[in-house]
Amino acid sequence: MNSPLDQQKAFEPDVKGRSRCELDKNLDLLRMVPAFSSIPIERLKVYAYLSNRIRYRAGEFVFRQGEHGNLGYVVVCGKAQAIRELKSHSIFLHEFNESDFFGGFALFADAPRILSVRATTNLECLTIDRETFQKLFMQFPEVGIKMLDVMVRRLIEMEEKLMQARADECTYG
Amino acid sequence: MISKKPLFSWVLERFRGLQILLILLILAAIFLRVFPLEMQKRIVNSAIAMKNMNALFLYCGLYLGAVVLAGLFKYIINLLQGYIGQKILFEMRAQIYNHILSLPLPFFRRTPPGMVIASLTSELSSIGEFMGGAIAVPIINILTLLSFAGYMAYLNPLLAVLSFSVYPVEILIIPVLQKRFNHLNRDRIDVNRSMSNVIGEAISGMHEIQGNAGYELENRKLERFSARLFDIRQHMNKFKFLTKFANNFFQSLGPFILFIVGGYLTIQGRFDLGALVAFLSAYEKLYDPWKELMDYYQDYQDSKVRYHQIMDSFDVKPEFQRLPDVDREPHRLEGNVDVKDLSFMADGQIRILDQISLNLNAGEQLALVGLSGSGKSTLAMVLGQLYNYSIGHVLIDGVELRTLTRMDVSHNIGYVAQYPFIFDGTILENLLYACQSLNQNRLVSERPLPAREEIFRVLNSIGFSEDILAMGLNTLLSPERHPEFAGKLIAVRESFFHRWGGELAELVDFFDVNRFQYYTSIAENIIFGHPNRKPYESEELPTNNLFQDFLKRADLHGPLLHLGEELAMSTVALLKGLEQDDFFFKMSPIPADEFEHYSEIVDRLTRSGRQHLPREIEDALLSLAFRFTPALHKMASLSPELERQLLQARNLFMETISTADPDAITFYKPGEYLYAHSVLENVIFGHLRMEQAQTNERIRQNVVDLLSEAALLDDVREVGLEFQVGSKGDRLSGGQKQKIGIARALLKDPIILILDEATASLDNASQARIQHLLNSELKGKNTLIAVAHRLEMVRDFDVIAVMKAGRIIEMGKYEELMERKGLFYELAAGSTESF
Repeated sequence: MNSPLDQQKAFEPDVKGRSRCELDKNLDLLRMVPAFSSIPIERLKVYAYLSNRIRYRAGEFVFRQGEHGNLGYVVVCGKAQAIRELKSHSIFLHEFNESDFFGGFALFADAPRILSVRATTNLECLTIDRETFQKLFMQFPEVGIKMLDVMVRRLIEMEEKLMQARADECTYG
Repeated sequence: MISKKPLFSWVLERFRGLQILLILLILAAIFLRVFPLEMQKRIVNSAIAMKNMNALFLYCGLYLGAVVLAGLFKYIINLLQGYIGQKILFEMRAQIYNHILSLPLPFFRRTPPGMVIASLTSELSSIGEFMGGAIAVPIINILTLLSFAGYMAYLNPLLAVLSFSVYPVEILIIPVLQKRFNHLNRDRIDVNRSMSNVIGEAISGMHEIQGNAGYELENRKLERFSARLFDIRQHMNKFKFLTKFANNFFQSLGPFILFIVGGYLTIQGRFDLGALVAFLSAYEKLYDPWKELMDYYQDYQDSKVRYHQIMDSFDVKPEFQRLPDVDREPHRLEGNVDVKDLSFMADGQIRILDQISLNLNAGEQLALVGLSGSGKSTLAMVLGQLYNYSIGHVLIDGVELRTLTRMDVSHNIGYVAQYPFIFDGTILENLLYACQSLNQNRLVSERPLPAREEIFRVLNSIGFSEDILAMGLNTLLSPERHPEFAGKLIAVRESFFHRWGGELAELVDFFDVNRFQYYTSIAENIIFGHPNRKPYESEELPTNNLFQDFLKRADLHGPLLHLGEELAMSTVALLKGLEQDDFFFKMSPIPADEFEHYSEIVDRLTRSGRQHLPREIEDALLSLAFRFTPALHKMASLSPELERQLLQARNLFMETISTADPDAITFYKPGEYLYAHSVLENVIFGHLRMEQAQTNERIRQNVVDLLSEAALLDDVREVGLEFQVGSKGDRLSGGQKQKIGIARALLKDPIILILDEATASLDNASQARIQHLLNSELKGKNTLIAVAHRLEMVRDFDVIAVMKAGRIIEMGKYEELMERKGLFYELAAGSTESF
């Protein structure tokens, strides 16, 4: 794991020569996420404080469809793919890049994942769990609405891809 | 039934010996109270008037002796009275609680918990205080009154009659006032209960209140009741103090009459001075018993009101008999279930179950399916004897279920609710709840609790082993209870290090003396060991002089103070306004209850800078720095320089302490078990880095493999069973709670098992496991009734009953129902399509 993401990097000094704490770094990342951009900075800081980093190596699954999870993810660096796993093969649905948000349904309800997400490169994410999200959601409902907006759009896009894939199967299979 | 029992029967039926002893003591005490009066008279008349020194000493001595003894007796009487009262209270509470526990479930749906709690705690306590004196107080005071009155009549009958003349007036007035008071008191209890309910509701719905900032709304709800309470209290005080006033007024009329008449008689020479003095003190002494009688009367009225209010609210008949009328072992049922024309009404008119008939032979499996609201859960609950039924029959082995005692039912039927209730305590306690309950009845021969192997077998069969193992790996062992196990784990640590130590060097925050640990606090990083003495515990270090000196020598005092300051500033700024919710403090070095303190410190720092800080502020800041755990507390960072310094300090500290206080610390060494760290951390001898999810999974798997080779997995699971689940099990996931619910029933091995959507929160794998269990081990052995939410689960059931609006509209095997193309077919088609 001697990637550029390694431990030493956590203490890289900022312009003032003081080392920046993890909280500030998380905050910078969250500010890049459109759904969060409207939260006042002092409150977004609380998100940054309660979110955790997680790393995956290329090829590892972040989660699998059907699993129960309670985390939502923001990509810090690296790439990941959303896929729907079928019996014989998988369908590629979406690619997530830096500051993309995924896994958001788990923040709203304890439901099984409807798709799998897999790291295509070495991947680092910030995670937030359902309880934290819901506590903060109560204070800033507009975050939830913005997030739902992103999620619903993506869901529709995926649905279309899936239907297309099924239609193809019916034609050729 | 207990709720019909009169208040006084509690006093009269119990502790008769003690009560008689009490009355004897009282008689003696009364004598000792009248005796000094006579002495008083003799001191004035025979000793002082006759100038007789000997008589003076004798009478004064007797006076003193009587007063001392009277005081002593009063003390013993009070103790005894208190004892009897608390004993009665103890029994009352136990019996009423016992009665409440067996009330029908619908009772609890309409009764707010706040009301039950208030009844059993505060309301009952004040009755208990009254009960202790319920017999003694009236006897003591009436007798005292009579003896003083008698003594006064003996001194002068005319004066006695005159001074008693005020009492009948009081006896007429006071009950009128009291009656009004009682009425208000009843209102007060009602309002008090409603108020507890408002508070109770607010607490359960706190997230909704805070989420909507409904503070004002809730405040107003409470205000309505507290304003009403204020009014009632005002009125009650009016009557209470009016009674007092009447009492005092009439009481002080007495001396007036005495001085006028007694003075006249004495001047005339028809009454002697000594007698007048004795008479006056006797009259004054009348006041106490009279006042106590009045208080008693008020307490009695108050307790009566409270008591009836409590008993009326629980005046409901339990639906089922708890124990058989004769001593016998519980029935051993075979598990044949026969339901005939069963109907179940709610609120008297709505038919939730409508003429249900079905038949299930012992060992058969029945699935209940249907849309929500079709009555399938109600039917399951009726079959589990949780609801009573009045129309139709449910026969278990030919016996009407309604007539079976709870004892029989609990020995034969296991019911698992969709959301099983988890009690505060350990997982093991929760698992054994059903088995332990069976043994609580002394009539029945004890059934051994399931052995460890049996528990693990059941947990494994429902896929709960992994969870328990994970919990075990996260447990802290205690040096008193697990010294042997800890030793075995050190051996596993050796083989772990041997096999994976090199490979994992970059992935694990090892407890290496030459490396800084990001997952432990600064204090632990310096000490690098486990404190054996209190002054070396993390919270005590700021006030430990030896440690303070050490910090200054290591040049750490300044930098750590600075770090503490930074932490205080950034944490206070971050969490300001969130301090009412503990949740936000789980990754904060400042716990919620210290937040205010640190806010004040930060205020001071910003106001007047960091010069000349008082010692206690310095200590607080140091204490914060000591707690700082770099990997956990994101609001500050540790400079590489300070990190190096801390590492050097570690060596210096080791040297210092090994000369100054060699046994104070057990240093972390590969041969020591670290009791402040979890089992997993002890095996890998380090911390996993949080951010590498999958790698950690692999490492954990390696540890599990090693433990398995060393045949220690069951021991780890055993400590996992000690996991504290938290109130209502809130440290467990929904799936884990369901698994505990299922295991709890399975461990009891009931002949009839009822699962009410008991697998709804489980993931697919666990679901499949339980499916397999039902199809193999339980098949043909236990009668199974399962309310199913997923139709793929019911394929192998012997009978499937499809319910709609309280009726069974289709019944048969899976294939038959599919062929019929009825509701079941529709449901099945719907469930696949929606996916």
